[in-house]
Amino acid sequence: MSDSISVSDFWALFGNAIVAALVAAALCGYLGFFVVLRRLAFVSAALGQVSGLGVAFGFFIGSYFGMDPHAPTPIYLDPVVLALVLAGIVAAVLGYVSRVERTSPESLVAFAYLAATAVAILILASPRIVQEAHEVGDLLFGNAVAIRREHFVELAAVALAVFCSHAFLFKDFLFVSFDREMAQAVGLPVTKLDLLLHVSIGISVAVATRAIGALPVFGFLVLPAGAALLASDSVRGVLALSIGGAMLAAGGGFYLSFVESWPTGPLMVACAAIYWPLAAVYRLLRRS
Amino acid sequence: MEKAEIGYKRPLLPPFDLSVRSGERLAVLGPNGGGKSTLLKSLIGLLPLLSGQRVFPTGRIPRVGYVPQTHRVDSVYPLTSLQVVLQGRYGLIGLGRFPKARDRRAAFEQLEKVGMPETASVLFRSLSGGQRQRILLARALCGEPELLVLDEFTADLDPVASAALLAEVAQLADREKVSVIFVTHEISSAAIYSTEVVMMDARRGVFAAGRSEQLLTAEALSRLYGQRVSLEHRGDRTVVFVESGRPT
Repeated sequence: MSDSISVSDFWALFGNAIVAALVAAALCGYLGFFVVLRRLAFVSAALGQVSGLGVAFGFFIGSYFGMDPHAPTPIYLDPVVLALVLAGIVAAVLGYVSRVERTSPESLVAFAYLAATAVAILILASPRIVQEAHEVGDLLFGNAVAIRREHFVELAAVALAVFCSHAFLFKDFLFVSFDREMAQAVGLPVTKLDLLLHVSIGISVAVATRAIGALPVFGFLVLPAGAALLASDSVRGVLALSIGGAMLAAGGGFYLSFVESWPTGPLMVACAAIYWPLAAVYRLLRRS
Repeated sequence: MEKAEIGYKRPLLPPFDLSVRSGERLAVLGPNGGGKSTLLKSLIGLLPLLSGQRVFPTGRIPRVGYVPQTHRVDSVYPLTSLQVVLQGRYGLIGLGRFPKARDRRAAFEQLEKVGMPETASVLFRSLSGGQRQRILLARALCGEPELLVLDEFTADLDPVASAALLAEVAQLADREKVSVIFVTHEISSAAIYSTEVVMMDARRGVFAAGRSEQLLTAEALSRLYGQRVSLEHRGDRTVVFVESGRPT
């Protein structure tokens, strides 16, 4: 890539995608704080697949109504809306069911992941949407180097909504995560807060997956926050490291992709994966 | 609670009445699996009643301070003792939970009352089991509770630390005029620190509530635990003897 175009050309071509990746990374880096603390790592992976299923299902249903996938669609058939709704519902259900007796949360997450992946692949194999399969593939698994304007707007809107609402509810979410019973005893609406947190994770995963792909979203939700919890002993420190680390990995992934012509998504995750051993070494050195 | 039926799906016991008056210290005694924690959660509204009602003389739900067993609190969180104590005040702080100077002052005061002011900036997870319980007690008191609920909160402590913490709770409760409900397996602690007692074993349909000095008898305790129990009063202390052997 570096042999064929200049940096300014690269920015002109991929500037939107880079900004979108940075926004998605900041969003995932922030939510990763709760994902890691609440042991929801594989919930985020499952939600990525579920949102992909929503997109594929939207195209599939649209084909029955004779919808042109490249033309505006009614809101109830819009793949984006279906992805958001499905991810939000599954996030809420997983959050609720994990507290029900005699259920194994891990098995339910695995069920959601496997069922969503299998059904999405079957839908993609359908001859009804064969022409859109490539596009659906991008929507399902993301394409970090090409993002449509409307997808960027959706991502920015969700990020803004999450950051604004969490600015007022962050401490409540933290309290409910830390000690649910005491939070309930002091009068916090714990069920509503759990639901809101899970739905914000579900919707964020859906739009971020559309923007940068399932693998980077999963990586940014788990790796920076996990490393930050090892490296820092304060809530602010963990948040700063997690958000900053995810954004740095997104930028680093794009830069290395430009220099080495390697795929961007895996490079972003590889950059984020470096943090964990670094944080572990830092912690060991600090202890000694 | 009036004509209350408690439980998760099926009632554990026939409907019963139970009252906790202002300034009382109510001990809940009974064997493991006997429904003590379920009663506690039902009393403070963490668990809805299957039937019956909770009645509040003041017309509103009292402010509750709750101290769980240590192992229920996740120790991975990077929270300092002060941050944990301030959580107890969230019911008094508005949206966003941005604490003001008076909230921080109140949190420091509670840390001092439980003898842990030097740990304000220390990570909660780095404290010992006994220290954590003191911090959780400070958190429960920081919300200016009218009702303090302690669920086997000394279970993980050695006998000396347990007795010291219970004595502190009794003093704090007297000083702050707070009602206390505590679940315990320590009969002698119940005898010393409670004014009222509930003895329950839902599996055998046992439920009795009344004044501690009337209810805490060797016969009643033997019935409750299915094992011969004898009591010996030495000054203001009660020594409990449990006979080994087959349950009665």
